Amino acid sequence: MAEFDPKDEQSFSDQNSSAHPLIVIFGLGNPLLGDDGVGWVIAEEVQTRLTGIQADLAARSNFRVEVDSLSLGGLSLMERLAGCQKAILIDSIVTGNYPMGTVFHFEMEDLPAAYIGHLSSAHDVSLPTALEVGRSMGIQLPQKIVIVAVESQIVYEFSEELSPPIAAAVPEAATLTLQLLDQLIE
Amino acid sequence: MQRITIDPITRLEGHGKIEIFLNEEGDVANTYFQIPELRGFERFCVGRPVEEMPLLVNRICGVCPEAHHMAAAKAADAVYKVEVPPTGKKLRELLYSGFYFTDHTTHFYALGGPDFIMGPDAPVAERNILGVIHKVGLEIGGKVIQARKNGHRVVEIIGGRKVHPCTSIPGGLTKGITEEQRKEIEEIGKWGIDFAQFSLQIFNDLVLSNKTYLDLILGDIYTHHTYSMGMVDENNKVNFYDGKVSVVDPEGTRIGKYAPSEYTDWIAEHVEPWTYLKFPYLKKIGWKGFVDGKDSGVYFATPLSRLNASDGMATPRAQEEYDKFYKTLGGKPVHQRLTTHWARLIELLYAAERIVELATDPEITSPHYHTVPTQTPTEGVGIVEAPRGTLTHHYKTDERGILTEVNLIVGTTNNYAPISMSVKKVAQSLIKKGTIVNEGLLNMVEMAFRLYDPCFGCATHSLPGQMPLQVTIRDANGDPVEVLKQFC
Repeated sequence: MAEFDPKDEQSFSDQNSSAHPLIVIFGLGNPLLGDDGVGWVIAEEVQTRLTGIQADLAARSNFRVEVDSLSLGGLSLMERLAGCQKAILIDSIVTGNYPMGTVFHFEMEDLPAAYIGHLSSAHDVSLPTALEVGRSMGIQLPQKIVIVAVESQIVYEFSEELSPPIAAAVPEAATLTLQLLDQLIE
Repeated sequence: MQRITIDPITRLEGHGKIEIFLNEEGDVANTYFQIPELRGFERFCVGRPVEEMPLLVNRICGVCPEAHHMAAAKAADAVYKVEVPPTGKKLRELLYSGFYFTDHTTHFYALGGPDFIMGPDAPVAERNILGVIHKVGLEIGGKVIQARKNGHRVVEIIGGRKVHPCTSIPGGLTKGITEEQRKEIEEIGKWGIDFAQFSLQIFNDLVLSNKTYLDLILGDIYTHHTYSMGMVDENNKVNFYDGKVSVVDPEGTRIGKYAPSEYTDWIAEHVEPWTYLKFPYLKKIGWKGFVDGKDSGVYFATPLSRLNASDGMATPRAQEEYDKFYKTLGGKPVHQRLTTHWARLIELLYAAERIVELATDPEITSPHYHTVPTQTPTEGVGIVEAPRGTLTHHYKTDERGILTEVNLIVGTTNNYAPISMSVKKVAQSLIKKGTIVNEGLLNMVEMAFRLYDPCFGCATHSLPGQMPLQVTIRDANGDPVEVLKQFC
């Protein structure tokens, strides 16, 4: 068994190893917990739309783009981000300050608090702390992380359905995600 | 009456909060540990095929999907009355040991450990894994990351995925492992034994050798005399995956062991008006309130209770540590709850040793890892020890295997009563007339429940699931007179 070597991407994140730099788009949340799963649905929509523009992206940029849906936070999410150059994280948010379905985005360093929703984990640490741990270990982690969030409400009841205003926000959030991707690959 | 609110709990996801009510003299009158409950899971499951449950329950919880996966698979085995072949059982236990290795490592270094390694009075911004790395050395960070990676790798090899395994089905598994994979797991286990021993050494050097911490651990404020619960094998040794659930009284006498199918004879649930979550207790003893003692049906289910409820560990190095644990602490059972962190590290060592034992078992690469179910499905119960307590899944189906009833008692729920008692006792000990409420003191209150490694979210939640700590002190009229904040 190979010892941990932070400079060896294979040692850490096998799937993220390639000559081409990588941008990841991760939908976060629990797909069984109502609006909590909106990140997954948006990620699926983004994946569908990407299929049609993949060739254009490849012609314009050296970046590879990978889309996935995850129920991870904290250290586990940091570990999944290893080897990526840039990332977009899509998540639900419950601020109570905006109408349900409001779509907005902010950068990692502009997070209102270090300990926050899916970016943290019940069982370890917040993503900012996890990223600091990873970087102190020399792990290659994204220099730029953008978060796309949808104001949600029903996140404590098991259901595979999104509530109507959240479902209606999916196309807008997917469009925003692709616009942000467009900026990231420049 | 004054009210102090710790809301929400730091380093725990979910909207749990502690309310501490003070009397006119400024002493603690009562405490309420309130947490949200995810609703509707039973309803969500009814009408689905029982064989879907091991996959479905993966998503109940963002913290221990492997535990739910295993409990569901065992319950589904019981529903179909199918016997899993020896290789299937061993592969499941091997996967589960890999999960335990990651989970216990993460708790010690990211959650529980910082309280001791940095100290309960350390600024909250330093009382985390980064503080541990800075204090113990950069090398420890690499080891923790490696340990997590290794545990995930074992889960991935056997379970098909790193975090949410998908291979356990009624009757066994969908796949076995190759000789090459077996060797990889064996090496991971050997590395894990060294890592666990290294972790125990850190605990010895930084905690047990520090008189202040030792006094805190052994003092009365973190002590409760309740019943202990934990799964044991046929030799009454600790087992995470299979066996009977052993229960010992506060004096250490085993009052019995129950098989999964007998759990309703042993466990009942008490309801309080101030929380939706129920309080499980020992049916044979009865609910006498939030009190210690042999006459109270309150029990706990943690690494410490598992050691108390067993006659020892099934692997040699862990057994040595078990003996040292009880010799140091004055014999069995141990009731000082902060020693749970030490017990957790002994279980970490056991998990690593068990990985090596199972990976070197001659049957582990056998292709006979599944028995095709042939019986008509009816009803079944599956129990495993989740890292944070005994986990019970109970399913009833119709003759087609379609679920008609589902009941779960999750690990942390077992500990809801003792957690509430611990929080109250610590608050009563530390908050007295004239006491200044400060961050270190409040963290010691939080330490009372953190040692149980509670997981109340049972799912990852929406932003901002975890918020800054805010303490509101209210006067006798309930009006806030002071607000203390961190991370705000």
